[in-house]
Amino acid sequence: MTPQTARRANLAGGAITILTVVCAVIWAFPLYWGIVSSLKPEDEVVRPYIELWPDTLTFEHYVHALTATQIGRWYLNSIVTAVGTTVLTILTSIFCGYALSQLRFPLRRPLYWLILASFMVPTQVLIINHFVLVANMGLLNTWAGIILPQLIHPVIIIIYKQFFDQVPKEFREAAVMDNASEWRILFKVFVPMNWGVTTALSIVVFIWSWNAFLWPFLAATKTEWMTITVGITQVNDAFGIYYARELSLAVLAGLPVALAYLLFQRQVTRAITLSAGIKG
Amino acid sequence: MIRDAKKEWLIALTLIAPFAAIYGLVFVYPTIDMFLLSFTDAPLIGAGDYVGLENYTRLTSDRRFDTAVWNTAWFVVLSVIPGTFVALGIALAVSRLSGRLQTAVLALFFLPYILPVSVIYLIWDWTLNFQFGIAMHIFDALGIDRIPVFKSATWFIPAVALITVWWTCGFNVLLFLAGLRAIPQEIYEAAALDNAGRWKTFSRVTWPLLWPITALNFTIQLILQMKIFDQVYLFSQGGRPNDNLVMVYYIFQRAFQNNHGGRAAAVAVVLFFIVIVVSVLNFQLMRFAERKQ
Amino acid sequence: MADIVLDHVSKSFGKVRVIDDLSLTVQSGEFIVFLGPSGSGKSTLLRMIAGLETIDRGRLLIGGRECQTVAPGQRNVAMVFQNYALYPHMTVRENMVFGLRNIGMASDEIRRRVEEAARILEMDQLLDRRPSQLSGGQRQRVAIGRAIVKEPAAFLFDEPLSNLDAALRVRTRVELAELHHRIGTTMIYVTHDQTEAMTMADRIVVLNDCRIEQVGTPMEVYTAPASRFVAGFIGSPAMNFLPVEVINSDGQALATLDDGSTIGLPPDIAGRGRLDLGVRPENVGIVGEGGMTTGKVKVVEHLGDRTIVYVVLGDGTPVTAQTGGHSQVRAGEVVGLTFDVEGARLFGTDGLAQDQAAAI
Repeated sequence: MTPQTARRANLAGGAITILTVVCAVIWAFPLYWGIVSSLKPEDEVVRPYIELWPDTLTFEHYVHALTATQIGRWYLNSIVTAVGTTVLTILTSIFCGYALSQLRFPLRRPLYWLILASFMVPTQVLIINHFVLVANMGLLNTWAGIILPQLIHPVIIIIYKQFFDQVPKEFREAAVMDNASEWRILFKVFVPMNWGVTTALSIVVFIWSWNAFLWPFLAATKTEWMTITVGITQVNDAFGIYYARELSLAVLAGLPVALAYLLFQRQVTRAITLSAGIKG
Repeated sequence: MIRDAKKEWLIALTLIAPFAAIYGLVFVYPTIDMFLLSFTDAPLIGAGDYVGLENYTRLTSDRRFDTAVWNTAWFVVLSVIPGTFVALGIALAVSRLSGRLQTAVLALFFLPYILPVSVIYLIWDWTLNFQFGIAMHIFDALGIDRIPVFKSATWFIPAVALITVWWTCGFNVLLFLAGLRAIPQEIYEAAALDNAGRWKTFSRVTWPLLWPITALNFTIQLILQMKIFDQVYLFSQGGRPNDNLVMVYYIFQRAFQNNHGGRAAAVAVVLFFIVIVVSVLNFQLMRFAERKQ
Repeated sequence: MADIVLDHVSKSFGKVRVIDDLSLTVQSGEFIVFLGPSGSGKSTLLRMIAGLETIDRGRLLIGGRECQTVAPGQRNVAMVFQNYALYPHMTVRENMVFGLRNIGMASDEIRRRVEEAARILEMDQLLDRRPSQLSGGQRQRVAIGRAIVKEPAAFLFDEPLSNLDAALRVRTRVELAELHHRIGTTMIYVTHDQTEAMTMADRIVVLNDCRIEQVGTPMEVYTAPASRFVAGFIGSPAMNFLPVEVINSDGQALATLDDGSTIGLPPDIAGRGRLDLGVRPENVGIVGEGGMTTGKVKVVEHLGDRTIVYVVLGDGTPVTAQTGGHSQVRAGEVVGLTFDVEGARLFGTDGLAQDQAAAI
């Protein structure tokens, strides 16, 4: 490369970089616009021109959301159901993944294939029967009823199986020589050796569950049992046309997952690529 | 290793039991139940009589079912194809960057994916608001007539597809980035030594090596978007749901709004098979492509 | 401390026989090395003793107790793995304590044993570190420490030095030998490295093809290899094998090489007829004139303290000679060769040494 072509390539590269950054900013602009609008007084929100920063910064909509809606209750529902789903999913998946990976027992292969096959089944088609089942169990409008159908995440089992498969067999042998029982091998060797995966997977299962809409929407027929994801869409009638108030609810609902992502960016991206079947 | 087969079987059984119980209760049983229900005229809750294939034959002359099928297909086309290419573009742009800048730019592109659908709904309902939406200012500036996108049968599906691309693209970007990272740096160095330009490098090196990831991305989105419900339901509120029906929405409507459990189950069974057939086809295709490589 | 007896043991993986009717007695306190190429079954044999592989047939006695069906942890042996298998999420101390906790040992006793092991291995300052913060040599020591705290009847080592660099390997070799002297426990050590075997072992068990080729002290297997395989496997450079015809002539044993030259053998040497004459390179001399035969020098390797000369005889038979460090021989020269036949061995077509064959 001559110095001239090199300089031209550099310039082009710089231009592409700037373009990328501009695109990224535009891409995320609706998010910014939503947040900013929620900090404006209602009359400022509906002005017919664009104001990138509020004239009067106000938290009145947040105060309203926190005091006049059931958002506190929805938060509680979301936290309980998301944590419950996460803990149960991770625990059952660790158990099942460990058995598939490390133990030899009859029907191991068929079980593995059954789990793989269940990837294909769309859980959305089961809503009717989930509803009937949960209703018959008397669990509509309960945390358990919201959690139960959300516990099907076969991919988590497969990820655990793969990670346990990768633990060199000497560790298991060393533990056996160390007189460790099967439970101690699982909890003192295999699980701690894979803490990274467990954290990453826990965070994404939490996010998935927090964001779940269709099932929680069906399972909670009373407003006090709605999760925040469902609840914030069900208040517009009561509010009429208060846009900023709605947006403040959106910010409050999105905040926990956005924070979880920003704090654990590496784990989240890793777990998401893993869930698509790619080794991160 | 010295193994006590019986003890191992017992331990395995204990470990699998919790999963098996949940799986049986909320997966295997409802799936069977769905098939059984689809042959009855049962309401949502309660028993019904066996009606044979009637629920299925009725679908052939069901206008709403037609709408749902076509809308779903249209939505899939409008979200999957642009979604794949937009994600590829973003991934290529992001992968050039490094360090903090890369992290920050990726975060901006990825952030929407992490948010719940209802937040996406509220933000875009506001952004595309007919009276006060900021996007309408752009329409005005370009001299186009404002469109009440979510009230228009023509624009509804494209608009929701666009928003869906914006919302879920981050996921596909991540997969592409993982694929790009898996291409060894030496290949690019070799290409540079061979004086390959930007476009040559992309078309001759990156794209062929990225092909498996592209196929994976495509497949995942295809199967995901066939099961669309949330966005369509939310944006239809106060609009024209009957024009905007998609498959899952129709199942929901039949079962929960019309109280036709049996007929809804028939639609569910149809969707069940469509998704499975597409999944299996995809899987075979991927295997075939892999073997060819 | 205990003796270990393998009594007619066999083992197959599916249809493949990996250990075939093998018997061996390891004396209490002995340092025994299983030596053999990869695939010889040496690791499998060790793992059978550890309990990590099942024994299909035969008996295993550890300290007189029949152990072939006893669980690995209950056999009172400790194993050091090739990659050490130190639990990465535990500190050194926790690694050592894990096995003791599992059997519910009192914490006083655990503390005493860890301190003792740390003293023996001089690693007090490492106890609170994680394996990832240790060097290769330190990890190796921790792996041994984890075995020592169990105060086992025998230590089992599976190629423990193969992950270390050359210099460290030599040092650790010495340390291991010294450790054995100090604690005097039975040790069984698997390696494919003949130097490790020669330097550390009380006795070497040479394995090949699922069978024991020879059991003996290092000097026995070196000077009196029982088979052509052992002769070729031990010693570097490898022993020369010269095809010869051995005849009796006037009470003298005479070997005729394929190039026609003859070599006088010790009169009492066993074996007559078409055989292979095994001569170690250090017993091949290079002379200007008056050798027993002549050959052309192909390559000369100067190693400083000695020189290795690769020669080809007239009929194409290759011969390796080892001479002093200051040899002036050059490639391409034709040189005379002498053979010191005092330690020479004759091997039959079945690969067995002739005195062995005679003994059978």
